[in-house]
Amino acid sequence: MACCKVYTPQEEYLKKLQAGNQDNRKGRERIYRIIDRYNGTKPAIDIERGLYFTQSMKQTEGEMLVLRWAKALKHIAENITVYIDDDTLIVGRGGKLGRYGLVYPELDGNIMDITIKDVSERKESSFTISEEDGRIISEEICPYWKDKSFWEDLVKALPEETLRLTYDPKNPVQSRHILDELTTYRSSINWVPDYEKALKRGFKSLKKEAQKKLDALDPFNVNDTMEKKPFLEAMILVCDAIVLWARRHGDKAMELAQLEQDPVRKQELLDIAERCYWVPENPARNFREAVQSQWFVQMFSRLEQKTGAIVSNGRMDQYLYPYYQADKAAGILTDAQAMEILECLWVMMAQFTDLCFSPNGASQQEGWAHWEAVTIGGQTREGNDATNELSYLFLRSKRELPLNYPDLAARIHSRSPQRFLREIALTIKDGAGYPKLFNDEEIVLNLVGQGAPLADALDYSASGCAEVRMPNRDTFTCGHPYLNLVSCVEMALYDGQTFMTGEEQIGLKTGDPCQFAAWEEFWAAYEAQLTNLLKHAFVQEYNIMKLRPLHFACPLNSVLHDLCMDSCIDLHQNNIPDGIDIGFIDVIGYATAADSLAAIKKLVFDDKTLTMAEVIDALRNNFEDREIVRQMMLNAPKFGNNDPYVDTIAQNITRIYLEYAKKHSPELGIHVDPRMVPVTGHVSLGKSTGATPNGRIAGFPLSDGASASHGSDTNGPTAVLLSNVASKLFDYRERGSRLINIKFTPSSIEREEGLQKLIAFIRAWCDLKLWFIQFNVINRETLLAAKAEPENYKNLIVRVAGYSAYFVELSPDLQNDIIERTQQAVI
Amino acid sequence: MEGCVFNVQKYSVHDGPGIRTIVFFKGCPLRCKWCCNPESQLTYPQIAYNAEKCIGHSCTLCANVCPAKSITVLTQGSAQLNYQTCLQCLSCAGVCPSKAITVYGQYQTPAQLVNQVEEDAIFYARSQGGLTLSGGEPTMQTEFALALLKEAKYRGMTTAMETCGAIPWEQCQEIYSYLDFVYFDIKHLDSQKHQAWTGQSNDIILDTFRKMRAAYPDTPCVVRTPIIPQFNDTEADIMDIRNFVKSFAHTSYEVLRYHRYGTAKYGFIGREYFLGTKDLDEDVFNHLKSISLQ
Repeated sequence: MACCKVYTPQEEYLKKLQAGNQDNRKGRERIYRIIDRYNGTKPAIDIERGLYFTQSMKQTEGEMLVLRWAKALKHIAENITVYIDDDTLIVGRGGKLGRYGLVYPELDGNIMDITIKDVSERKESSFTISEEDGRIISEEICPYWKDKSFWEDLVKALPEETLRLTYDPKNPVQSRHILDELTTYRSSINWVPDYEKALKRGFKSLKKEAQKKLDALDPFNVNDTMEKKPFLEAMILVCDAIVLWARRHGDKAMELAQLEQDPVRKQELLDIAERCYWVPENPARNFREAVQSQWFVQMFSRLEQKTGAIVSNGRMDQYLYPYYQADKAAGILTDAQAMEILECLWVMMAQFTDLCFSPNGASQQEGWAHWEAVTIGGQTREGNDATNELSYLFLRSKRELPLNYPDLAARIHSRSPQRFLREIALTIKDGAGYPKLFNDEEIVLNLVGQGAPLADALDYSASGCAEVRMPNRDTFTCGHPYLNLVSCVEMALYDGQTFMTGEEQIGLKTGDPCQFAAWEEFWAAYEAQLTNLLKHAFVQEYNIMKLRPLHFACPLNSVLHDLCMDSCIDLHQNNIPDGIDIGFIDVIGYATAADSLAAIKKLVFDDKTLTMAEVIDALRNNFEDREIVRQMMLNAPKFGNNDPYVDTIAQNITRIYLEYAKKHSPELGIHVDPRMVPVTGHVSLGKSTGATPNGRIAGFPLSDGASASHGSDTNGPTAVLLSNVASKLFDYRERGSRLINIKFTPSSIEREEGLQKLIAFIRAWCDLKLWFIQFNVINRETLLAAKAEPENYKNLIVRVAGYSAYFVELSPDLQNDIIERTQQAVI
Repeated sequence: MEGCVFNVQKYSVHDGPGIRTIVFFKGCPLRCKWCCNPESQLTYPQIAYNAEKCIGHSCTLCANVCPAKSITVLTQGSAQLNYQTCLQCLSCAGVCPSKAITVYGQYQTPAQLVNQVEEDAIFYARSQGGLTLSGGEPTMQTEFALALLKEAKYRGMTTAMETCGAIPWEQCQEIYSYLDFVYFDIKHLDSQKHQAWTGQSNDIILDTFRKMRAAYPDTPCVVRTPIIPQFNDTEADIMDIRNFVKSFAHTSYEVLRYHRYGTAKYGFIGREYFLGTKDLDEDVFNHLKSISLQ
């Protein structure tokens, strides 16, 4: 009996802030001074990266792309403004002070002059831009990319019937939200550079390696001279570029130190300069240098390319640990100092935001979303538990400094120490959604199934929302389609049309469902429609794979990749020897589709309480004056309740796309793993989906990830997990990640007893071999209050989809989506 | 064999060790004035109507199907049920599209129920959780409760029970041999007051309690008292029970805060809630709670 209100630490902290209490700042004055300067501000567009990139690309036409890219990076490194924030101990930013986003015209530069107005005026996640910068984009950047951007080539390359599932042919900037593509607003999907290599070896050593290979080339071998030579020259150039950029920060710090009156800050600036002159050129010698070197690599890879908002931090508690351990033993680092350094890094991370010029991109990642997952825990390459003191320090920092960055991800396995689980549970209880959890027991098995050496599989990093990467083994960077599973239900109902696209024959003609005598006939229609969409997803992916190597290169990420250096092939090329190419299709609206099909099966064919004509009539009228029908649909079986009636249908949907992927992936030469990681796509795809037979009204968000439809999982959180177990098909290697959201009321994990039960819940989730899980622990009233009075809840952090964001920065639709996710309370 | 239960609640984490599933039995010998599960009192299935879910006059399916003409659909968007003339034939619940009319109570076999409870076995294994019987009064359906517990034990779950104790020891004693954990309500030590507020004296309850403690002294037991305004909200009331409980081994004591969450359900089944709208004073509760812990 939970009678009295229990608040999360985050809610308590917000209440304190509202009352003017600033106790939380004690000992973190530096960090809060930095936060105060940017928090709550709208990000600005910084055009320098786009401008210098364009300038250089104009000069290098005809050369090999990777070399052009390296030259462009060198040009950027030489010219881009170098900033050093007040107070910070870690330096390096890609744009102006405060929150900023960068410009990547190689993606959709041809339409930037059209979309730029939208970027500054759109209702959600907009950016500020000065008039002069707007002019530069329209007049100096954009014109060069007409006929050259990836977006333009993709739209030209896609066959008409694939294109019209992707974009509105009448207005190709407008996504159809049936089979969306993500590649025009990211040149790479989520990625984890091998930071450890940069820290241990430094770019001087990497450059030397490239030089040695260059010297050893056979001047009479045309492959050597025409392919490997420019590649290796690019590697050398990019090593020079990042070192130059870092050293310019050293100069800037020296310059500021000269002017600095405060002796303490003066010394800090001198120390910063020393570090910038040493790393990332040389191996890091201590913890502070290691963190600085990591950040230079991360920011320079942001300058290199747009990784779909996601450059992950990798296994930070592993590669930083030797430095931490040595410094602590030498007495030159305390935990408080280590946290301060890391927190300087977090606030630098927080100020970079992902700028999407295309409305499509912006709608898929609201709240200026970007993800830099820090992976902690898990296993070593030898398969032992990898948790160490740094793992705990990351968790502690997350609890003590409520901030939306970094995105903390913990790897759990069957032998994860109880202390680790308890600290994780404590942090989850805090209520900001951290850490998200990855399950070694499923993921390592999956990666081995993909052909990875066991040690590489054991060494995976969280990357992106719910995805993982094996640095030096993964080689596939190509974006993937978002497939609307629910539109296939519509097409089965409307003989190949959808509610929103009207008369247009957008899918297959599968017949008038009113003539279907048996459920099997309707199911066959659904299967045909979904198979058709999968076909076009593969067509889309095929064209994207063909085009990308012609449009993108990434010398920095290539020089850090063993396999790229072995083969002298840029990471964005297809088929790098010994690499494992794991691509995806995001299937969106899983529960909505399963529930809709279950309602049709039950009401029309099994119970015969409705006719198909009545179903269609109700949907076409968005249930207006058809409330009886809607109620019947709302009360039909729902996914997420461990109900075999609907879970079997969900499993059959899964089988269609896994079987398709299994059969046809080899034709693409990659693994295509369908997965359920919608980011915020379930909201935008929902807007383009008519009323559905699960009782959902037109335009309402689809179900997110592998979670139940809104408010449908009435049987508790264990049932949500069990429905996922029942529907996932463990025998398919192609099964990708499933993102599961669980929202708990704070009272359900109250006190030590509640904490222990949360730990048990996590252990059981691990036993069930489910890929991923994340938690929101918050009172519904807090969310409602934050929606009503955003000014009082500027600091409220909630979990969205594989990442956390400030609640008040999300669109009203997404805010409602989060509010309406079923809360697992305790009676 | 079939028993009548009105709810199976997964992921219950506040009553007993670990993650548990509570099976709520129909039927109770007591008629506590504050009862928060009024739908548990009758031993058989009964109709419940929740006006908030009713879509009203656009739908008249229930009225059309009612053989006793006990339902009138109002234009305001709800229906009126005449519980006096209702035959409890349950037909209306079968046709109600919005689940505004539902049935409290379903007959199920022990195997059906245990299968359902066992779905969460992996969560029990990780948390030492399992099956909890509650109600209503689970020992009232003695054979059914026994069958459930035996099967649950066989399948490796821990077992717990929440009981009002008002069933003679001779009838319910075997049940306790299959329990790992007992929550036993003792509401008042004054028999007359007990009679006045629950419809029965506490004689059987105290007798069953003593015998249960003597027969199974090692089974951990929590005695609970819901604090009800004007019934047992004095220091003396709580001290008496606390002192009584203290004389037994492996027996702890806790007081529960009175709440009125059940009020709406009285309306659903056509009854009135007698205790009105008065809340328990927070300070009084906290004071009594501190006494209970002494």
